[in-house]
Formats: sequence, structure tokens, C-alpha cells
Amino acid sequence: MTTKQLESPLYESLQAQFEIVSLQDQHEATKAYRTQAMETFRALGFPSIKNEEWRFANVLPLVKTTYEVSADKNAQISEETLAHAQSLIAAHKEDILPKLKGEEKGAYRLVTINGVFSKELSFLPDNAGITISTIGEAVDHPGYQEYFGKIVTLENNAFASLNSAMFTDGLFIELKANTVLDMPIHIIKVKLASGNALFQPRNLFIVRKNAQMDVIETYISDADNEAAILINGVSEIALEENAHFFHYDIQKGCKNIRKIQRNEAVQQKHSNYSNYTFTFPGSSFTRNNLTIHLNDEAIESHLYGLYLTAGEQLVDNHTEVHHKKPNGESNQLYKGIIMDKSKAVFNGKIYVYEDAQKTNAFQQSNNVLFSEQATVHAKPQLEIFADDVKCSHGTTIGQLNKEAIFYLKSRGIGEEQAKQLMVKAFAFDVAEKIKIPALRSYVEEMIIEEMKGH
Amino acid sequence: MENNTDTEFLESLADKEYEHGFVTNIEMDILPPGLNEDTIRFISAKKNEPQWMLEWRLKAYNAFLKMELPTWQNFKMPEMNFQGISYYAAPKNTPKYNSLDEVDPELLATFEKLGIPLNERKKLLGVKDDEADVITDEDGNVSERPLVAIDAVFDSVSVATTYKEELKKHGIIFCSISEAIQDHPELVKEYIGSVVPQTDNIFAALNSAVFSDGSFVYIPKGVRCPMELSTYFRINAENTGQFERTLIIADEGAYVSYLEGCTAPQRDEHQLHAAIVEIVAHKDAEVKYSTVQNWYPGDKDGLGGVYNFVTKRGICKGANSIISWTQVETGSAITWKYPSVILQGDNSYGEFYSVAVAKGKQIADTGTKMIHIGKNTRSRIISKGISAGNGQNSYRGLVSIGAKADNARNFTQCDSMLIGDRCGAHTFPYIDAKNPTATLEHEATTSKIGEDQIFYLNARGIDTEKAVEMIVNGFAKEVLNKLPMEFAVEAQKLLAVSLEGSVG
Repeated sequence: MTTKQLESPLYESLQAQFEIVSLQDQHEATKAYRTQAMETFRALGFPSIKNEEWRFANVLPLVKTTYEVSADKNAQISEETLAHAQSLIAAHKEDILPKLKGEEKGAYRLVTINGVFSKELSFLPDNAGITISTIGEAVDHPGYQEYFGKIVTLENNAFASLNSAMFTDGLFIELKANTVLDMPIHIIKVKLASGNALFQPRNLFIVRKNAQMDVIETYISDADNEAAILINGVSEIALEENAHFFHYDIQKGCKNIRKIQRNEAVQQKHSNYSNYTFTFPGSSFTRNNLTIHLNDEAIESHLYGLYLTAGEQLVDNHTEVHHKKPNGESNQLYKGIIMDKSKAVFNGKIYVYEDAQKTNAFQQSNNVLFSEQATVHAKPQLEIFADDVKCSHGTTIGQLNKEAIFYLKSRGIGEEQAKQLMVKAFAFDVAEKIKIPALRSYVEEMIIEEMKGH
Repeated sequence: MENNTDTEFLESLADKEYEHGFVTNIEMDILPPGLNEDTIRFISAKKNEPQWMLEWRLKAYNAFLKMELPTWQNFKMPEMNFQGISYYAAPKNTPKYNSLDEVDPELLATFEKLGIPLNERKKLLGVKDDEADVITDEDGNVSERPLVAIDAVFDSVSVATTYKEELKKHGIIFCSISEAIQDHPELVKEYIGSVVPQTDNIFAALNSAVFSDGSFVYIPKGVRCPMELSTYFRINAENTGQFERTLIIADEGAYVSYLEGCTAPQRDEHQLHAAIVEIVAHKDAEVKYSTVQNWYPGDKDGLGGVYNFVTKRGICKGANSIISWTQVETGSAITWKYPSVILQGDNSYGEFYSVAVAKGKQIADTGTKMIHIGKNTRSRIISKGISAGNGQNSYRGLVSIGAKADNARNFTQCDSMLIGDRCGAHTFPYIDAKNPTATLEHEATTSKIGEDQIFYLNARGIDTEKAVEMIVNGFAKEVLNKLPMEFAVEAQKLLAVSLEGSVG
């Protein structure tokens, strides 16, 4: 091992657990894929901070402990657990669905408890144009055979390799051609654990030609639990010609959650993928890797990020946009409010390949440092190999305008409230991009809520 | 615009000859290629260096042995054979010149080709010149020529330094670093390696071990240097590396503006240039450092050319001090340098203005580091990258705000211009802030040279080549304006030459 890898007990224990997971898999092609991914992971090991991609995200504390791997795919959810999960959903105000339902339009709901799909708590669309199943059930589906394992990049990617080798659960959603889903699907992932647990969900979303859907992902865990939960998730996303996919990832949750998520999307001609990654105080370690491949002409990609961090939280957003063909457009807008002793990292990469003439690629990252011990590391990166392009990036790090706060105070608005107003205004650029009004007000409320006391 | 003219222009650009590619036949004292402890002892002995200097070199050598070549770069690292380089080459006639006749005529011719003004050539050779230093501009107006003191470094050895006496009156020391080691050991001992430690990086370690010469500047308290100081570097001998070391110290309230120019002959093999520049600015001092780098870039297939791996760093040690880097990078096969400023003193200010051109098969990976440590420190970065042909241009920079750097302020702008469809422009800015009162701004744009602008100029009767030259000069103007007058003219010409015929 070189110095760029970490030696850890987790690495050792995973080697043994792989055999169990692999044995359970009955599907030959998937089994072969797992074995290959494990080889890649073995060669890579866990990255240390000497690895450029992980410079500011030290995974050592995460891999120092060992975790129980939930290997039993067919586990039944007991009634107790079910009730517990239900109460959690209510307690965490996670249930934004009634609010959505209160209006003309609502949302479908898909609940998983520790990765196991719960029919009782879910409310699924009754539409022949959509297939929803667990990833394990989907192995014979043509969409699975076409896309599974073909989107995510494993090379130099230890965590994605580990997920590919050992994923135990996840969802498969396919929207057939010309289907437009009438309501968003809200996926609630409930994580309960009595001991340290490692979850490796693996999702595959396919949006076929001319189809359109909205997906909202949220997760919650048991806050009273001292056990550490490590989530190493991978989602593969495919957009075919003229497909539209609005993908919302709302991340909060309690301190015991450590999350490493990789979302990788491939896009075909005229498709539009919009990703919204919003991270709120809660989980102690969040790393989002978002990679988009614009594989054809005239593609649009929008990446919106908002991170409001507090406590000793680390939120690390890595984005990669690959413009491979002409006339593509990508937009990245990431805004951060960094409070307490928290640390935020933004690393955005735009690659414009030789063929990708007439590309417009923009990237913007704005950060507000709120306290003495807050830290920001920003690294906006452009690599451009075509000449007829318009690319720009901008980064700012600053603080709230003191004069503006003074002005508000002079109008009888308290300091705390003035700051909240200013932050809300700062976040507006990103929040206004949310297409679902109820979700937007939920996010705005959450900003105010989390700002309290700062 | 037709594509074939585009291609023709690109080809003519790639074929553009390098005009400093001459070799001067001067008898040389060359150490055979190879690197070991004896090489270092030889260099040190040749220079009559004191024991502490030799020990310092050996320490660097030992550090060098333990280091590996970096792997983080955005280009394929060429193979480095450190044993294949000759570490010492000096013109045989090294005694100091007192009159023109003593100077090797070949050396004189070299200076002529380098474009060192006649006036300065005389000064360089120490010839008394009673004529008034005047220049006549285009309109026939006569004005006094600004004085420039020059130190010329030929391969590894400083051959002459001008205006020494004049400078001495002000207490300014401007000499080669070997002389400084002899005459001012206390200053050298105190400051050498204090900004760029021997172990900073592999090339810095190598330079610390084998540096053969360079310039040394000391401006005493409260003195404003009355003229520009300048160094011309030239690699001449075959198979040699150039490892010069520049040390500039500005004491309290001092001011100096320093210029550096470089050229090398055309050769098929790659030559290594691994220099170090250290700048120390004490309280209220100001140092301006300007570079026009025009090493041989290699031919159109990427054969030959200089590897320009340079470590340049300044420290604003005292309060209110200022360090300003300005660079125009048009040469070298690979340029790899990051002139940096450590802003330690409160209210200190760092600047970095850069124009980098990468054409043919050139690679320019350059940028800066601004390390904010003191309170109310400010920095400004303006970087303009121009890529043409197969050139790859990268901006790589760091702006770091320490936890105690209250009210630190940074503004960064890096713009890239692409000429032709096979070149690349890349940016790798690192921005780290650990203080909530910091304000940082970074913006970057990449775009093609404006067809509508060229069209507009064409419509006004200006041909395309001239139009490109105008646009490029306009694009780089903010940086060129920062250069001292004479250098600015030279740099402007250099940009025009470098991009001649690059767009249809």
C-alpha cells in the first residue's frame, strides 16, 4: 500500500464479509461484476488525505471502526419496527407529504426501512408506465441489463467500488417512453441500527425517451441511537433522448450518520437533468460525488447545491461535468452557509472535450462564513480542450453585509431575525430553482429553523 | 472564415522560428555530466565558498536524494535524468572586465543579440561613458533614458554587473550571489533558504545543492533604489542545466524594482532550468519583480526546449510591506512555476500579474500562492492565459486565509483565451478560508478569440494578423501595464511574435 491509502480494521473485515454477500447473489452477471469491483476496491483501499480527491475529507475516523453489514436481503420488517419508523417519520417532520397532498398535487411515497422496501408505509403510482422494484428483483429487467454497472466509474473510486462489490439493497425505477409522472416520488429511507451499521444502497433510475419525473430523496435515522451508521450509496441515472429528470436530494439526519453518496448520470440528446443537493445540519460527515456525462448534443444539466452546516459537521461536494458533444449547456450553482466549527468543501470540475464545441458551462460557488472556527475549501476547476466555448466560474467567500444588518436593526428587526432574513435572501437563488412549491417552502423553513441560535 | 486559412495560419504559427536560438562559441569550463557529493564539493571549491555554505549545499543534496518527482501535474511528466546533466559550465575567461578590450568578443555579440541596449552593454562591461543617456521616441522627443543596472548570468556564472559603483553610493548591494557569499556572508547566511527551504520541493533541493550563481540584492533601510535592477539569464552550453539563485532583501522602508529576462539556444535535447528566487520585504518595504521569460520552447514537434521548473517565493515579513510579481511567459517547453507571497506582516499586500502563452507543443502550468497570515492583508491575482496550436495552459493557484488573518481580502481573476481547436485551457484554483472576516472573490472565464472583434477590425481595414495582435495585447493589457516601460515594449513585441499568424 502506498501512503495514499489507509490501513483500517474495516478494510480487513470487509474482505471477509464480501464472501458472504457474494454467495447470496444468485445472478451470475451481477456476481461477476461484484467480484471485479472487489478487486478494484482491494487495489485502491480507503483513500487517505494524501489523495487529492479526499484532501479535506478525512475518512480515517469512519473506517477505524467496524460495522455490521446488513446481508439479509429478505429480512421481514417487524410490526414494532414499522411502528417505530412511522413515529420517526412523524417526529422528524419528515412527512412533508400531507403538506403536498393538501394542495391539488401531492406526492407518491416510497419508504424503505434499512433498505427493505415497506409496502405498508408506501403509496405508489398506479401507472403502467413505471416500474418500481428493489434492485435485487430487477435483475431480469431489460433496463437493468442495459444500464446496471455501466454508468458508475469505478476506476480510482474506492467507495463506489466497495458499493458495487457489496451492495445489499436499493431501488430500481424505470419510467417508460412518453410517460410523464403526475406527481413526484418521495423516497424516504429510514435507517435504524442497534450497533454500528454499514449500509450500501444501490439505485438505478432510468428515464426513457420523452419521459419526465421528479424524485425527492430524504433519509432519517434514530437520533437516540449512539451507534454509528455509515451509508455508502451509489445511484446510477440514465436519461434517454428528450427525457427530463428533476432529482432532489435533501440531506439531514442525526450526528451518527456518515454519508458518502455517489450520483452518476448519463444523458442522451436533448435531455435535461436537474440535480438539487441540499445539505442541512445533522450528519457528521457528508460527501457528495455528483458526476454528469453529457454524451450527446444539445443536452442541459443543472446542478444546484445548498449547504447549511453547523456543529462540527463536514460537508464535501464534488461535482464533475463532462461535456463530450457540441451545444451542451451546464449550470452549477452552489451556495453555502458555514456556521460553528463546521467545514465545507466544494470541488467542481468542468471538462470540455475536443468535440464539444459551442459548449456553455458555468459554475458558481458562494460561501458565507458565519463563525470564527468555520472553514471553507473551494476548488473550482476547468479543463477545456475545445476552443469555441463559453466557460466561466466564480467563487466568493465572505460574510453577511454588516451595513445591511444595521439597516434592518434600525427598522426594528432583531439581529437574529435580520441574519435569518439575509441568509434566506442569500439562499434564494438556489431555493427558487425548486420546481415544487411545497418543497421549496419546506426548504426555506428549514433554513430559518436551523439558523436559530446562530 | 475559411478553415484552410485557419490551418495554414496555425501551421505558420507552429513553424515560427525562435529568434534567440543562436549558440555563442565561447570557451567553456564544463564539468562532465553527473551528480554526486563530489560535484557539489567541486562547485563549492570552484567558488571559494566557506565551509558553512558547502555544508548547506550537502544538506540540500541529502534531502534531494530522498525526494521523488511530483505526480500532481496536469501533463505527462518527462523523464528526468539528473545524472545526464552537467552541473557547472562557465565561460573560461571569468576575471572581471575593466575595459572593453578584455571582453570576449563573442560575449559582446551575445549581448547584442539579446537586445541589451548599447548603453547598458557598455555599462555591463564597465566602460566609462560620458554621453548623456538619452532616448528618442517616435515623435522625435528626446528624454532621459531610465537607468537600468544589469547582472548578466551566462550558463551558470554571472559575467558582469553594471552600475555597481553608483549603487554603492546608496548603500545598495547588487552583485552575483557568489560574490555576496564572499563579501557579505552574514546577509547570505541569514536569508538564504529562509523563504524557500532546501526541502521545499525536489527542484528547490537540487538547486540548493548545485546552484552556481545568480543575483544578490540588498537595499538598506529607507533607500529607494534609484534605478531598475535587471538580470539576463542565458543557457548556452550543451547538456547543461541552469541553476541560478536570486536573493532580494529589502530592508525597512526600502523600494526596488527588479527585472529578469531569459533566453536559450535552439537545441534538440531538453535543458533543465531549475532556479530559485527568494524575496524578503521588511516593514514598509516594497519589491517589484518582473520577468519576461523567453526560453527556447522547442520546435513544432515538441523536440527540444527548456524545462522551466522554478520556485519563486517572497515573504512580506514586516507590516505594510508589498511584494509584486509580474510575469510574461512566452517560452519554454514546459513552464512550471508559482511565484508566491507569504503575507506575514499586518497590512501587507501581495500582487501577481501574469500573461502565459502556450503554443506549438508548449505546456504552461503556472499560477501563484497567496498565504495570508497577518491581519488586514490583501492580495490581487490577475492571470491571463493564451493557448494556441497544441498548447496547454493551466492556471494553478492557492489563496489561503489563516485563522488569524482578520479582514483579509483577495481578488482573483483568471481569464483564458483559446486560439485554434487543438489547444487547452485549464484552471485549478484552491481557495481555503479559515477566518470569517475574510472576503475572497475568484472569477475565471474561458473563451475563443472573438470572431466578431476580428471581423470588426477587418472591416476597418486592419488585417487579421494585426487584429489578433491587437486583441491579444488588449487581453493582456492589464498585466503588461504593470511592467516597467522598457520591458513592456519588449513584452508586447514578444506577444505579437509569439502569436503571429495564429488565427484565420
